[in-house]
Amino acid sequence: MADVTNEEKVRIAADFIKHAPPGEFNEVFNDVRVLINDDDLLREGASSAFSQYNKDQYTATKVEGAEDQVLITEYGDLGGGRFLDPRTKRTFFYDHLRKEASDPQPANDLIDQTAEPWREALDNAFKVYISSHFKHGVSTIYGKSSGGSITLIACIEDHQFQPQNFWNGRWRSQWSVTFTQSSNSAEITGLLKTQVHYYEDGNVQLVSHKEIKDKVTFTDKETLAKNFTKMVETLESAYQNALAENYGTMSGTTFKALRRQLPVTRTKIDWQKIVSYSIGKHLQQD
Amino acid sequence: MAERQLDCALDLMRRLPPQQIEKNLCDLIDIVPFLCEDLLSSVDQPLKIARDKTVGKDYLLCDYNRDGDSYRSPWSNLYDPELQDGTLPSDRLRKLEIEANNAFDQYREMYFEGGVSSVYLWDLDHGFAGVVLIKKAGDGSKRIQGCWDSIHVVEVQENRSGRSAHYKLTSTVMLWLQTNKSGSGIMNLGGSLTRQTELDASVNDATPHIVNIGRMIEDMENKIRNNMNEIYFSKTQDIVSSLRSTMTLQDQNQRMKLQHDLTKALESRSGGM
Repeated sequence: MADVTNEEKVRIAADFIKHAPPGEFNEVFNDVRVLINDDDLLREGASSAFSQYNKDQYTATKVEGAEDQVLITEYGDLGGGRFLDPRTKRTFFYDHLRKEASDPQPANDLIDQTAEPWREALDNAFKVYISSHFKHGVSTIYGKSSGGSITLIACIEDHQFQPQNFWNGRWRSQWSVTFTQSSNSAEITGLLKTQVHYYEDGNVQLVSHKEIKDKVTFTDKETLAKNFTKMVETLESAYQNALAENYGTMSGTTFKALRRQLPVTRTKIDWQKIVSYSIGKHLQQD
Repeated sequence: MAERQLDCALDLMRRLPPQQIEKNLCDLIDIVPFLCEDLLSSVDQPLKIARDKTVGKDYLLCDYNRDGDSYRSPWSNLYDPELQDGTLPSDRLRKLEIEANNAFDQYREMYFEGGVSSVYLWDLDHGFAGVVLIKKAGDGSKRIQGCWDSIHVVEVQENRSGRSAHYKLTSTVMLWLQTNKSGSGIMNLGGSLTRQTELDASVNDATPHIVNIGRMIEDMENKIRNNMNEIYFSKTQDIVSSLRSTMTLQDQNQRMKLQHDLTKALESRSGGM
């Protein structure tokens, strides 16, 4: 059987990196680095995996001069390692390995002026929303227009990293709406993702995602911002309550049916009886 | 270097989503093929079931009953596909293996009320080792799929007198739960916990090896079952709640303040008594 090629090995390495659980990128990267044992090969073939991971995970970062953090996402990717912060109207360079932002510059004509008033209204409404449901959530809202329609994309992220207690978790949600300024209703789409990793003497993970489609009504940028945000609050809470309900069924019904706490006798097994029974059975077969 | 690479490979398997264990293990072996045997024997995978057609009974597959691409059935002691010189336990050990399979078949029935079990033993210099496997799949009721895999590896060092032995048990239990409902979307809660324990015990007619091993495994599995209940359904759920609160944080703070005030009021009352 032929050995696997270097290209294939690096593809696998990149795949592993992209699947690192929240908060464990460095550990997974170090493991992969030791296994591949060829830093040049790894850097050449897997560096795109670093940026893919950060964008996928909605990694939050602080840019000098900004009050709030901004998310690294595919929607803000300007190429060449630079990203957009729509709230402060700036672009910045992001080092994917060090996870550091630098070189903030004014964004100027990267800001879509048609979408901007709508984007700003939604940005403000979302900021208030996340402050009441996420202990340290970050939201980044993008706006762009094309022809007569405007598209707003809202990204939310929060996480808890407690490696000293052997667990990490992350919430990501993404909501978008496309509409024309004259319309008074539009379809909204949402994608919610939850991941939890517990690894004290084991490896237990919760992986969940849900896609949502709904309709929002509005008359202007203020009502769109208000109604859209209220819907997001309701739908995200409904998803979370559904998770809780599943937890209840899983533990109360599914888990119980897999293995009892004790046999029907309500006592532990009498192993001496079991062994003498099976020896007897064995002798009978002779 | 190879030892460090094995450590990193095992660390990787503890971090990558366990829902893709088989794929991850395959990919890992592609990167470090010289660690193939080490990885296959140290990374636990969900158990596969095979049918022993000679006796019409199911048995479980693992690295310990594998020789090449064939697997040995604990019921007939035959390899499938057939092997000319497949590894077999010694005659004395095979007798013990038959008894162990019967005993754990009953254990399985009493705790799992269904499922499949298999026990495989192999000789060591001053004793023997074995693996006890159990697999139980849920019936999919309430639209939730569940599956339990037990892998108990026990090492038995017999004292020269044969009147006592030292037992070392490493147990891994895998639990898989998944559902796809409109309210929650896809929810997949899965993985494994591993525990170890050791015991010195007398070996005699009243407490032969199977009794000592049986008690050890029963206690261990009961402990892990309780751990799993706690970790899967309490701990991970608490973590989700820490990511987002369905109640507004303002309401949550108010509730906590109320609880705090109540507690203080009750304390000062009882203090005054």
